Amino acid sequence: MSKKNLSRRDFLRMSGAAGAAVAGGLSPLANLSRVAAQSDATINVLTVGDPWDLALQSVVDQFTEMTGIGVNIESLGYTALQARLINAFLTQSADADVIAVDQMWISQYADNGWIRSLDDFIGMDSDANFDDFLPECLYSLSTWRNHVWTLPIASYAQGIMYRTDLFEAAGLDPLPSSVADAGDWTWEDYFGILDQINGMDLDGTSMYGTTVIGAQPVPVVHMFTGLSASYGTRWFTQFPEAPWDFTPTINSEANVAALHDWNRLYGWSPPESINYLWFDAGTRYSQGDIGMFYHWTPYFYLVNNEGYLTGTPSPVVDKTATAVLPTRTAGGDQVVSLGGWSLGMPSTSANQDAAWQFIKWATGSEAQKAMGEVNVKGYQFADFSRKSNYDDAGLNEIYPFLGTQLEMMNLGDGKVARPPAPIYTSLEGVYGLQINQTMSGAVTPEQALETTQILFQNILSGNQMIPYGVDSFDDTLENTKALQASLSGM
Amino acid sequence: MKFRIRLPYLLLAPSIIVLLALILYPLGFALRNSFWFWNLQTSPMPLYHSGLDNYRMVFQVTPFTEALKNTVLLAGIGVFAQFWFGMGIALLLYTHLRGMGLFRALLIMPTTLAPVVAGFLFRYLLEPKGGVLTWLLQGIGFPVPPQGFLGNANTALFTIGVVDTWQWTPFFAIVLYAGLLSISEEVLEAALVDGATRWRLFWSISLPLLRPIAAFLVMIRFMQLFNSFDLVYVLTSGGPGTASRTLSFNLYREGLVNYNIGLTAAMTWLVAIIVSIIINLYLFFIYRKREW
Repeated sequence: MSKKNLSRRDFLRMSGAAGAAVAGGLSPLANLSRVAAQSDATINVLTVGDPWDLALQSVVDQFTEMTGIGVNIESLGYTALQARLINAFLTQSADADVIAVDQMWISQYADNGWIRSLDDFIGMDSDANFDDFLPECLYSLSTWRNHVWTLPIASYAQGIMYRTDLFEAAGLDPLPSSVADAGDWTWEDYFGILDQINGMDLDGTSMYGTTVIGAQPVPVVHMFTGLSASYGTRWFTQFPEAPWDFTPTINSEANVAALHDWNRLYGWSPPESINYLWFDAGTRYSQGDIGMFYHWTPYFYLVNNEGYLTGTPSPVVDKTATAVLPTRTAGGDQVVSLGGWSLGMPSTSANQDAAWQFIKWATGSEAQKAMGEVNVKGYQFADFSRKSNYDDAGLNEIYPFLGTQLEMMNLGDGKVARPPAPIYTSLEGVYGLQINQTMSGAVTPEQALETTQILFQNILSGNQMIPYGVDSFDDTLENTKALQASLSGM
Repeated sequence: MKFRIRLPYLLLAPSIIVLLALILYPLGFALRNSFWFWNLQTSPMPLYHSGLDNYRMVFQVTPFTEALKNTVLLAGIGVFAQFWFGMGIALLLYTHLRGMGLFRALLIMPTTLAPVVAGFLFRYLLEPKGGVLTWLLQGIGFPVPPQGFLGNANTALFTIGVVDTWQWTPFFAIVLYAGLLSISEEVLEAALVDGATRWRLFWSISLPLLRPIAAFLVMIRFMQLFNSFDLVYVLTSGGPGTASRTLSFNLYREGLVNYNIGLTAAMTWLVAIIVSIIINLYLFFIYRKREW
């Protein structure tokens, strides 16, 4: 925090906490008082090679100009980042000052003490505008056991993209772009449209109704859980609400129905999509022979490129519209998968003040807007987590789908769709394998989910999570809202 | 006198100690971990002694038997194909036909590629929509599965084997060709004078004389293929389903994705035991009449 930005309220608050700060030595107040002295610091930032990372790197000089703090950004692949971080944590080496954290890693990193809570920093720094964050994003990406561990830098919900020219040729009405217009918009309607457009000829191209992301284990789980969460699937008997009971419920009637319908979706997809990763599905749509699909919201803008971030306009630019996800039953409850990346601070960082300044800046409204305005290979960042960015007229002009995206964010629940419980990745591994097995016809949905149920039970029991012997926390959106209000001084 | 007897042992001792430490310590550490509950997703430290739980979990929560079956198939059939294709090319090189010098120079190129690069290359060549190889095969009427070779459960593992064979056959060819060159021409000429056919010459003289080299080559490649990871990761990630899942990919999933150290250690030991059994059986049958 620079001296000129220190408000009177901050000053009084800091004065009140001064004794504790001196005693603690490591408290944020002590850190904040050293900010000026640290302004020539250089911090190391470890990120992941996602689209938001390119946007961040394009604007990071603004941070250095503003604060005098140098920034070294290193981008790694997903697995490499996780391996590097865990290696650094185990050896307690100060490998980085700021790290990109997947929502699934929060519980592990927090419970092991590998990252530090940002509560104190947020509470003492009014510049953070913490109340501007969408609570659903904080809840899904950043909170664990009633503490804020990270701040969201890129939030992804899920939504529909479809070809307007194909819909026109088929005599179909545009799909609802807001929940208010959705009325009785159901998955069965969605499947009906796919059935109609699948195999249609559009300007000499034979169209597939849709495409799935079928590669096992992680990609297929990401897309399937979008459907299954909407069908009401819960992975465990009770989580995230307290008391936690991790007895699996993955073979529920709702999930069996979802998996049957997932295989219907695959029937309207290119056969090779059984091996598709996220970007394979996105680029397939942007190549022009897919009528409609649902995906993470970054693809709302990524499909404008012919390939993945190529900068070459795709044939579907200006022929694509976005829509909200349907519900299982007319007017029924909706749960949208919400994921993404956030920035956290390793406990070993030697530059915690500077690291906080960077996290605050990069996740702040102005930097996020600047990232959204980067136009290097097309506009490539609309994954906002703050209300103010969704209200911004300039950003809405660049990304006209922001309204739809915000509605999906508001229905987002990353803790139900893909619960970030400890050992999530082990569960995801076996789950994705079984879903993929149904697509290849090796097993039926019933068999796959029965096997998944048994494997979940074995994994969870083997990892001492059934029965769960550690204290639970009532991890609800309401509690995150209360935490947000309290840290915002409201 | 006593000192003279002990001296060689004393001189060898440092290297033996270092060697044992480098081999035994990691193995011992892994063995110890295999009996402890240690999952980095839940705790940075081993939590408690868990007996044989990790070994049981290997079979209960990972597709170990499928992966073992795939690995043995991939390694067995892959090495068999590479050996005989390599032998064919080596015999061709041995004919000293025109252009063989250039062919020999070009031959080694696939082997110099990193497996990851070869994997990406073939991933694009085998794309179901627009891949050059797919297009060529369709052109000659070869049945291409609608999901592509890598997306079909019946062809995924076989395709990985084909790519590995494309990459490593030249290695066999070059080494076997060097072996053929080392066979005394006098022996071959003597056999020819005695009326041996070319076929007889190969089966009864060249092949037996190549046996020491071939046996070593087969063993090394078998072990490499048994631990094959890069191609599997790039081409199919073990899919679809478990159709191309190998033991190394299982180890990667448990160790570097799930971070279950105890389970990974147990699996490592199981794999080490299986490889040792196979290799020792192989050595027994190959060298049972020889000293080595």
